[in-house]
Amino acid sequence: MTGKAANPPASPPANPAASPAASPFAGLFAEAERQLTICNACRYCEGYCAVFPALERRRELTSGDITHLADLCHDCRDCYTACMYAPPHEFAINPPAVLSAVRRHTYDEYLPRLPWPASRRGAIAAAALASVAVLASLAVWIGGAGAAGGAGAARGSAAAAGSPYQVIAYPALLAAVGLPALWSVVVMARSGARYWRATGGRGLTRPTALRAALRQAATLRNLRGGGAECSYPADEPSAARRRLHGFVAWGFLACVASTVAAAISQDIAGDPPPYPVLSAPVLLGIAGGAGLIVGCGGLLVLRRRAARAAAGGDAARADPALKDPALRDQALRDQALEDPALARRGYALLTGLLLLAVTGLLTLVLRDSAAFAPVLGIHLAAVVACFAIAPYTKFMHVVYRFLALVHDNAEPI
Amino acid sequence: MTDPWDVVVIGGGNAGLVAAITARERVSRVLLLERAPAALRGGNTRHTRNVRCVHDTGDAYTPGVYSYDELWRDLCAVGDGPADEGLASRTVRLSASVPSWMSAHGVRWQPPLTGTLHLGRTNRFFLGGGKALVNTYHRTAAAAGVTVRYDCTAEDLEFSGDRCSAVVVSGTGGRTRIEARAVVCASGGFEANIGWLRQYWGEAADNFLVRGPATNDGRMLAALYSAGAARAGQERGFHSVAIDARSPRFDGGIATRLDSIPFSVVVNAHGERFYDEGEELWPKRYAIWGRNIAGQPGQIAYSIWDAKVNRLFLPPMYPPVVADDIGAVATGLGLDARAVTETVTAYNKAVVAGSFDPSRLDGCRTSGLEPPKSNWAQPIDTPPFYGIAMRPGITFTFMGVRITEEGRVRREDDGVFGNVFAAGEIMSGNILSSGYLGGFGLTIGTVWGRIAGAGAAGAAAAGAPGVAAAGSATAGGGG
Repeated sequence: MTGKAANPPASPPANPAASPAASPFAGLFAEAERQLTICNACRYCEGYCAVFPALERRRELTSGDITHLADLCHDCRDCYTACMYAPPHEFAINPPAVLSAVRRHTYDEYLPRLPWPASRRGAIAAAALASVAVLASLAVWIGGAGAAGGAGAARGSAAAAGSPYQVIAYPALLAAVGLPALWSVVVMARSGARYWRATGGRGLTRPTALRAALRQAATLRNLRGGGAECSYPADEPSAARRRLHGFVAWGFLACVASTVAAAISQDIAGDPPPYPVLSAPVLLGIAGGAGLIVGCGGLLVLRRRAARAAAGGDAARADPALKDPALRDQALRDQALEDPALARRGYALLTGLLLLAVTGLLTLVLRDSAAFAPVLGIHLAAVVACFAIAPYTKFMHVVYRFLALVHDNAEPI
Repeated sequence: MTDPWDVVVIGGGNAGLVAAITARERVSRVLLLERAPAALRGGNTRHTRNVRCVHDTGDAYTPGVYSYDELWRDLCAVGDGPADEGLASRTVRLSASVPSWMSAHGVRWQPPLTGTLHLGRTNRFFLGGGKALVNTYHRTAAAAGVTVRYDCTAEDLEFSGDRCSAVVVSGTGGRTRIEARAVVCASGGFEANIGWLRQYWGEAADNFLVRGPATNDGRMLAALYSAGAARAGQERGFHSVAIDARSPRFDGGIATRLDSIPFSVVVNAHGERFYDEGEELWPKRYAIWGRNIAGQPGQIAYSIWDAKVNRLFLPPMYPPVVADDIGAVATGLGLDARAVTETVTAYNKAVVAGSFDPSRLDGCRTSGLEPPKSNWAQPIDTPPFYGIAMRPGITFTFMGVRITEEGRVRREDDGVFGNVFAAGEIMSGNILSSGYLGGFGLTIGTVWGRIAGAGAAGAAAAGAPGVAAAGSATAGGGG
């Protein structure tokens, strides 16, 4: 075969593997831009989710745009499954992987800078969890001792059996839970603000955009794959993840509502705990705890299955969700569709919520038994720890993704 | 496995998958041979996105009516019109049932993609594009009990009399024979076989880029010809569009194509214009530009536009040459700056003032210029200026085998093969001559995949040439 006639000088899109980048993040954004430029010339995926229509409204991509698109991505993986340019094609398009890597980077970028290197933040989070848990346990036992010596008397009435104030004095409980919660709220608000500035966000004062974003978040519109459902955990369409996420989100909100209901009963209605089973705090708590257990447990199973698909071997081959050889090969080939560090944060969030739900329900079940005090102690320790580390887990996606949805809905079509 | 398969389908693109699914609804043992590894399955279908069908009422995905007569007129208006009027009209007529068949076999739809001007009424877009379609059909086929072999290349066909008795394949297990009661050839064109193209195009073929996989080398077509199959279609018939000259030699697909032409001027290697860039609405004319460029020196051409129109078409995958004057753009493209500047200056002077409207034939044209630009002509005068080099990107070749109304392959001696059927690009030369209509390749593949799949099942069930097969093919195709 003779060679081609002289072509104009080829200037292929930037390839971070070929061109030394100023920083790893510059290389990451260059790679995201390379892939998204091909996506914008193709557009086959625009029916799946909000990411591709948002991409099509942009002719040039800034790093803020790429961050916005990455947080708009719900990681359903339909685009990857549908992409004829996915590896082993030489264009090597893999939006779930590159966008999750961008999310991981930006999650780090907008959190308060800790005095440790960023690469060690996973270890730091684990250490924080352990130390806070220990501290909280100590606090609980000290509080418990105080309660036995007359904390109830300090409140003017003896705490009833099955009341937390048997174990820990109310001010101690408020401080132990409130301080880490306040810390997390401040960190998340500050991180959200930094994200909002970096992505040029707009629409927070626009009721239509807020309403649409709330609706899309509540219904997980972007996890529906345009009606095709998601290619998760393997590449078969499935509604499992969307439904399980619903259990987690609504379960979490029910737990928040339970706490609010308890606060109203105690501080406004003047009715101290414990509350009967047929009361708003307990019913909401049971529903929330059950939702969290079903949702988190199910999502952990899905994550395990996705990891198994990525790990390959006989387990993957035997997995009924991976029976289509093309999809199995694809799953096996791409070991990390989700950034590994981000995946660990996902595990951290799900495990933490599961722990909260299980220990919370146990305190209810065991509140008339001798095990009540230690179980409540463990539950409170878990609450304190989870509140303290929430911004360093995948919990942050709630903030960024909601802001991305608001921004998306505020953009002119 | 010693029993012959009822139906062996050669090729795992749209036509092959449709044929295999259709055959499996009638007979029990159906085998599909896919030459690619599983991750790259689907052939050219991976790069498709819509299907052009007659519809007498509109719906959410194809608003408005697209009648038989209108699709027929559109088909007559491209290239030299339909090749075989009987088979072409059958294709158009049966296209009306294609969307419902696709929906019934798992396909989902989406509204017309953004930026695909003028296609929404006539073409239905399936959700996620061609690879999603292929994935869906594989799921449907697997659930129905079709067996699929990957990395399996059909090398040759064995005949006894007018019947094919076995397919010779090579793959991971070496070279083996697969016995079949009936065969569907849905193995595509020969566009990736540059040596074969060179027979009709000469050295120019060396400058053609191929939009689909390198596996489309026409091996089964050659096997059918050497077994005495009759030819259909023109030697130079192909669907070819203008794509970026920097695209990969094979498999660049949709992202490499360029939609700037109607808003630009196009010059050849000498810096001269050679064809009316604004002749017709883009979906009706995009497919002539591959051929136009194939006829130019070096098989290369250059689209040049300015800032006014830069956002009116889909963004190109590769960055254009950008500069503040035309001469610098020309130099950046490796062209003679003076020649290109003269061409653009002459064009600008010839533009007649009008009301520019990209959504319709706006009549903004040149006067006294040869060749003219008949629509969307505006002076190229607003910096920055942009330029991209383009080459012919061949999607598929039309020359294939002649077939009967039942999809059976005809012989040169006026007979037919008793149990060999064809569907898709390998028989597209029965319908297309030299031009192409966007989305019609999928129509041909689906219509004739159903006909060939039903025909092959009938031939396998009858076990003898001719008997009952024709009747069941007709029922299957129309059903």
